[in-house]
Amino acid sequence: MRLSVVAGAIILILSGSACYSGGGPARNIDGNGGPGGLAGAPAVSYDVKRTDGTPDSLARYRGSVVVMNLWATWCPPCKEEMPALEKLYRANKKRGLVVIGIDQGEGAAQAAAFAREHGITFPILVDDQQQYASSYRSVGLPTTVIVDRSGHVVRGIDGAQTLAQFEAAVAPVLRAQ
Amino acid sequence: MNSVLFAIAVAIVGIALTLAQDAFPAQEFYHSWQYITLLTVAIIVMLTFGHSARIGKEGSGGKPLALAMIGALAVTIAGFVSALIGPDTVTVIGTPGTVTPIPDLRVAAFFEQATPATLADAHATITLRRRDGGPIEIGNTPVPFGLSVLSRSSRIAAYVEARDARGNHLTVTQPNNTSFLSPVLLFRSTQPIAGKLLPFDTFATPGVHRIVRALYLDSAALSEFNHGIKEGGSGVVLSITDDQAKPRGIAIARSGVPLLAGDLLLKITLGRYPTILISSAPSPYAVISGLIVFAGGLLWFAAAMRKRLAAMPASPLPVREERPSAPVASSVRDSS
Repeated sequence: MRLSVVAGAIILILSGSACYSGGGPARNIDGNGGPGGLAGAPAVSYDVKRTDGTPDSLARYRGSVVVMNLWATWCPPCKEEMPALEKLYRANKKRGLVVIGIDQGEGAAQAAAFAREHGITFPILVDDQQQYASSYRSVGLPTTVIVDRSGHVVRGIDGAQTLAQFEAAVAPVLRAQ
Repeated sequence: MNSVLFAIAVAIVGIALTLAQDAFPAQEFYHSWQYITLLTVAIIVMLTFGHSARIGKEGSGGKPLALAMIGALAVTIAGFVSALIGPDTVTVIGTPGTVTPIPDLRVAAFFEQATPATLADAHATITLRRRDGGPIEIGNTPVPFGLSVLSRSSRIAAYVEARDARGNHLTVTQPNNTSFLSPVLLFRSTQPIAGKLLPFDTFATPGVHRIVRALYLDSAALSEFNHGIKEGGSGVVLSITDDQAKPRGIAIARSGVPLLAGDLLLKITLGRYPTILISSAPSPYAVISGLIVFAGGLLWFAAAMRKRLAAMPASPLPVREERPSAPVASSVRDSS
């Protein structure tokens, strides 16, 4: 019996030596992954203000299909995309579609001037702390997030889209109850 | 009796070393050869003593002691296995306001949005969301989670507020990071300077075409950098270029103090932002059942010893010398 105890101890030490990894470098999980991975997640909302100073947020549009566009005045693709968003909004607002543009990191005066210049009629919100862009994993601007009536993300899109691409993306969400 | 006390002491040390993995997680020591050797020695001692106790070599009370050793062995082997084949500690770094999936644990960690105030106070929270359970906030107390233990750590962070020379608020981007549009720098890189590795990060203000490299200096490094001027506190050295890489300025930013450099009005708030450490932990089932068996064995042993002591004569040696053996035997019977 003593022999078996000694043998067990030796096996324990040998297996321990074989398995021992010596520590090794620590591994990091440094997550982001872009807006594409947000589908199905609850849409996060932050209280911000419109360009005229009235309080607003994504959550206020619960019950509508929301196309949330994150943009900034210095971003050339954002400027190119704006006319398509305006057309999308005008064509579908009676069907329960809301387009909101959320300026990232700039002031209300800059965002308001940009909206006037481009003839924007949909709500423009100002997120000077860039909370929406952080939470929606923006890897660039523009970033567009489509939110269904229940307040869940249907799709996150990185980069500028055409009107046809926007319509194809929102059509099934508008059809769904 | 000395060997009994020694074995129990070794068992307690083995258990304590194992439980330390839960109480003080994420220590490099648990994956060191020294820790493994300590547990191995404890296991060998417990195996040897437990075997000799079971076959009666340790006198009466052998079976209870063998049971206690089995319990302590279960705990210590769980600690041994966790230290040897458990994964190394993983640090989960999340951008403020984001949800970071942790596939190994089948959870997602929500990192609270940061403001200058929450960074300065290091108050931001991390909440774990599970599919089949309520949310768990990772606070200062380590949280056991299956074969892992989750604990909170923190890293240096800086909240950047940028304006142009006219005072217009500017978008801050981090072109080199996964958190492209976060105004919070987490200093994911390091820069070797004068034999030290200093936390380093980069941000840009595309609205005015500026790129800013930020080097974090703690108070000692800042004093050294500042030619011995001791102002106290940490700071950030900012090197500003335009997008053609032409230098536009260099400045030292102190936390919360606005400064004008390279046509930028910058306010950097320094603080800390939490991270999650995922460390391997001993199997909770093995630890709990082992502790129960160990405690049960010790209680059984204590009861056996008490019974044995109660069965002994009140004044052993002098009485034996004065009286013949028969009355002693009768006194034993009397006391029982």
